[in-house]
Amino acid sequence: MAAEPQAGASREEAIEGYPGPYEVGVYAHRLRDRLRSLARVCLIGEVTNLRIGRGVNVYFELRDADGAMPCAMWKNEFERLGLAEGDLRDGAQVVAAGGCDYYPGGASASPSFAFRVSELRLAGEGDLLARLERLRKALAHEGLLEPQKLLPLAGLPRTIGVVTAAGSAARKDFLAGVERRGWRGTIVWAYAPVQDRRAAPAIAAALRDLAALGGAGGPVVDTIVVTRGGGSIADLWAFCDETLCRTVALLPVPVISAVGHETDRTLLDDVAAVCCSTPTHAAEAAVGVDCRSARARLATGASRLDSAGRQAVVTRARWLGARSRAPREHVARHRSHLHQKARELRAASGRIVTARVTYQQRVAVKVLSRKLMAARASAAAGRSEMGAAAGALERSRQARARREAEALRRMSAALRAHDPDRTLERGYALAVNGAGEPLGDAAAARAAGSFDLRMAGGTVPARVREREEA
Amino acid sequence: MGTEAPQSYEAAVERLEAIIDRLDTGQAGLRETLELCREGKVLVEYAAGELEAVGKGLEELQLDELIARLESADPALRRAGD
Repeated sequence: MAAEPQAGASREEAIEGYPGPYEVGVYAHRLRDRLRSLARVCLIGEVTNLRIGRGVNVYFELRDADGAMPCAMWKNEFERLGLAEGDLRDGAQVVAAGGCDYYPGGASASPSFAFRVSELRLAGEGDLLARLERLRKALAHEGLLEPQKLLPLAGLPRTIGVVTAAGSAARKDFLAGVERRGWRGTIVWAYAPVQDRRAAPAIAAALRDLAALGGAGGPVVDTIVVTRGGGSIADLWAFCDETLCRTVALLPVPVISAVGHETDRTLLDDVAAVCCSTPTHAAEAAVGVDCRSARARLATGASRLDSAGRQAVVTRARWLGARSRAPREHVARHRSHLHQKARELRAASGRIVTARVTYQQRVAVKVLSRKLMAARASAAAGRSEMGAAAGALERSRQARARREAEALRRMSAALRAHDPDRTLERGYALAVNGAGEPLGDAAAARAAGSFDLRMAGGTVPARVREREEA
Repeated sequence: MGTEAPQSYEAAVERLEAIIDRLDTGQAGLRETLELCREGKVLVEYAAGELEAVGKGLEELQLDELIARLESADPALRRAGD
């Protein structure tokens, strides 16, 4: 923008390197003219800070994730739109046509910039869907639709974070859904507005807080569910917020989106790990395991394991038992066979020994017989010789006996001739003392005084008479 | 999987079903059967523990109250939050 220097401006007041100085009012008007010369366009965004006062203008701001524009609309033009009361409100998505404008202000009025809106309508589904598609493509291009889908989703989470409106039907439906699954873990409710311009930042903050709970000493949130009931795409526009969706895409905890009805498709649905049509479906996705049937199945599984283990051992034990009997029986048969053989062997060896003994006995008998016969022959020969010798000896003995008998007879006769008894028989007597000693002479008889007289036919006691002494 | 701890309930159940399927075929030898049974019992205990953890009773907490409680317990959190 080039402005002509005002006449009378002092060159000394200029700053080197910059043209001017120019009168500010002139410059402001030139600026207004230049801005007004810019192309007139349509803008789409969310209405915020709406002010419908008594003045001639209606003021509001149009915002989206990347920026905002202050807007002003002549009240008469606004009233010609015929919008129902409340249609234009904070959070409403609108399409506004107009162009840049600048109010230069004055000595006592502040200047201001505004997008002067000449036409305005509530954003239709087509507008929003087109915008949504652009955002979706942008996020997809940056690869932000994938990270959440790569996160493992626990089938049996212990703690679930739920972002929803306090007291909403969605809250109730979700709770009923998890209870139907038999799930009785921990739910951390993060209540947030789910519509209008406050919704997206609040939901994003809740998501960040839920994800950070575990690291701050709170419960570790395994899964986060973002849910609300159905509505128009405009009502659900908070869930298409680019900042919110970028937050979700980079969140380390899987997010289940259950916003609106089946036909609704928000940008959050695209970036979330799982997209569900209703809070009830979200409950089923968050608790992938039906705890009731899982408990029953687990009990069945445990029972089957026990049974399989026991059966495997018992069956094999029986099998082994059957197999183990075969060698035992085989061994028993062999043992019996061996015992039989041993008995036969003993019997055979006995027979052999007996036969050998018998044989040896026979041999011995024969030998002995022969020896006996030889001995007998020898004995017979000896006996014959002995007979001859004995005959000679007998004859010699008899001769000698006769000689000795003759000598004996002679000696006997001689002896008898000297036998005192023969003398006694002829009338003599033998005087003996008490000890049987013969008294050889009369002196002995006298000395003895008394003695016995042995005579033929007996002994007579005798005594020396006294007269003889006289 | 062997003696390693299960990564998750689903992994444990999936492995458990695979074990039971294998046992049902009757083709596993005695040693394998006993090992599978031992592994299966560990998995059953783990899975039962996980089910038990979400079967005691529903606990409902509110994020705002939880954060306030954590911040009061640890002022550093409040400063970090600010």
